[in-house]
Amino acid sequence: MKKFTPLNSLMNSIYIAENDLRQSFKSVRHVVWSLLFPIFMMFTFSFRASTTGQTDIEYIRDILVPGIVGMTAMFGSTNETMSIVWDKSLGVFDRILAAPVSSTSIIVGKTMAGAVMGVISAIVLLIIGSTIFNASFANIGAALLIILLASFSFTGIGTIISGLASEPREAMMLSNLLRFPMMLLGGVFFPISAMPMPLPYIARALPLTYATEALGAIQTGNPFTVFFDAIVLLIYTVGTVLFGSQILMRIMTR
Amino acid sequence: MENAIEVKELTKFFGSLLAVDQVTFEVRGKEIFGLLGPNGAGKTTTIRMICGMLRPTSGTVVIAGFDVSQKPQEVKRRIGLVPDISNLFGELSARVNLEFMGKLYGLDKKTRRERIDQVLELFQLKERQNDLVKYYSKGMHRRLTIAAALLHQPEILIMDEPTSGLDAQTARLVREIILNLNKEGRTILLTTHQIDEADRLVQRVGIIDHGRLIALNTPEQLKNNIEGMHALEIKILNGVDQQKWLPILRQIEGVDNITLAEGKIRILSKDLSQIIPTVVNLVDKNGGKIENISVAQPSLEDAFINLTGKSIREEPMSKEDYLKRRLARSGMR
Repeated sequence: MKKFTPLNSLMNSIYIAENDLRQSFKSVRHVVWSLLFPIFMMFTFSFRASTTGQTDIEYIRDILVPGIVGMTAMFGSTNETMSIVWDKSLGVFDRILAAPVSSTSIIVGKTMAGAVMGVISAIVLLIIGSTIFNASFANIGAALLIILLASFSFTGIGTIISGLASEPREAMMLSNLLRFPMMLLGGVFFPISAMPMPLPYIARALPLTYATEALGAIQTGNPFTVFFDAIVLLIYTVGTVLFGSQILMRIMTR
Repeated sequence: MENAIEVKELTKFFGSLLAVDQVTFEVRGKEIFGLLGPNGAGKTTTIRMICGMLRPTSGTVVIAGFDVSQKPQEVKRRIGLVPDISNLFGELSARVNLEFMGKLYGLDKKTRRERIDQVLELFQLKERQNDLVKYYSKGMHRRLTIAAALLHQPEILIMDEPTSGLDAQTARLVREIILNLNKEGRTILLTTHQIDEADRLVQRVGIIDHGRLIALNTPEQLKNNIEGMHALEIKILNGVDQQKWLPILRQIEGVDNITLAEGKIRILSKDLSQIIPTVVNLVDKNGGKIENISVAQPSLEDAFINLTGKSIREEPMSKEDYLKRRLARSGMR
């Protein structure tokens, strides 16, 4: 049987992430529904006339598509982290911890699964947005980096919620309490500049705002904004993932 | 015989709640040891501390010579845990579940495949190996949970309430599996709140109540310890709730304990010859008719009653015990 080494710990994390993702993708309905919602939103809002003085094409390209891509990363990642609350209530952590697996490996695995789900979901919407609405993510590397950072941030937030919730319904309610305001205030459908006071200040506290803004800035070719937003998302990632990990660690190691 | 598990003064507080209180016992190599106690007695908390999943407030656990708090990974390689609830992944098939566990134990692909085939065969799950676990019956869940714990061929198997919630036929099958695993040379530590299970399966039993280990011996010895005690079993007719007879019969001088189990009133006494006529008279006086009366040797349940002053089935779980149980099983402190 294997020795306990950093490489084995990483492999354990990969197995845990793989197992989580396998379960998520096993449920075809789950995948379809989680993607149908942002697709539906993207098409619905693409039909509305812009209220911001932009042309419809500019609105769709610079606001709506980047926003929906960021929002999809948020839903993908946070939905995936909901598995934590199920795992807690079903005693899955006990089963895994009874094996020679450290708590850290579980936390890393869960975080990887959340981030991967966010990235995959967002990429699907990015492809749809680029194909149908001609949104051009010319700097695809930067777009993927922003999606990855955003997905990690949302995974951290989802982990905190799932760690604090005592049962799945509570986690879902708490999650929606955060996600829906974030969706409306994060610049997905309406640009922050068009929001009345004090909403822009609230928007600036939300990670989705920076993901949306950065992806929009990739469209318009504004590297400084992309860089600044990436730094903010990195700070969010470190903060939320560390805090979420602390909560999970507390649950598992007591 | 060398000890497989040594538990010394194990204590666990959840806040101010004392869940396990200075529990000390050892499990000898290749024996089946049982922890018997009612729900909320502290069995699961003890098991979780033994497996290194819950940090004790104080005390030590040594498994196969390794201190759990210092060498948890060494310990985990040597134990297999069968939890009281099936915590396998319902959205995955039995084989995929076992594959996952095999990977976590670091089994290479070939060994993994061979062991999975072995355990699926052993637990009669081969035909349904590719079905999603969520469609399994309770008994199949239980068998698969045990199979998953055996994949890495542990020396020590720790089973929390292995037959809890199973129908009689499946429970019997699980007991047979436990006995066979023991015959193969595995040490087994199990918890149960079923007296007959402890009586049938274990070689030594520790009785745990309110977090304290109050007795430890072979089931036979525990029964013998109720010196001179005999049991009288009676069934009273007349459509009256048997429960109503308990306070009436409890008044009889010489009755040490009285319980209701499986529709029969069971009276424990050191002097049955003196109390039998009184029981018959009292039942008659109160309009009852004895359908059946028999004298029995004290059972393990009688020993339990004698030690704890209550039947294991008698009382619903107290609020405090319920809280302790939730704390032990959930992710909460």
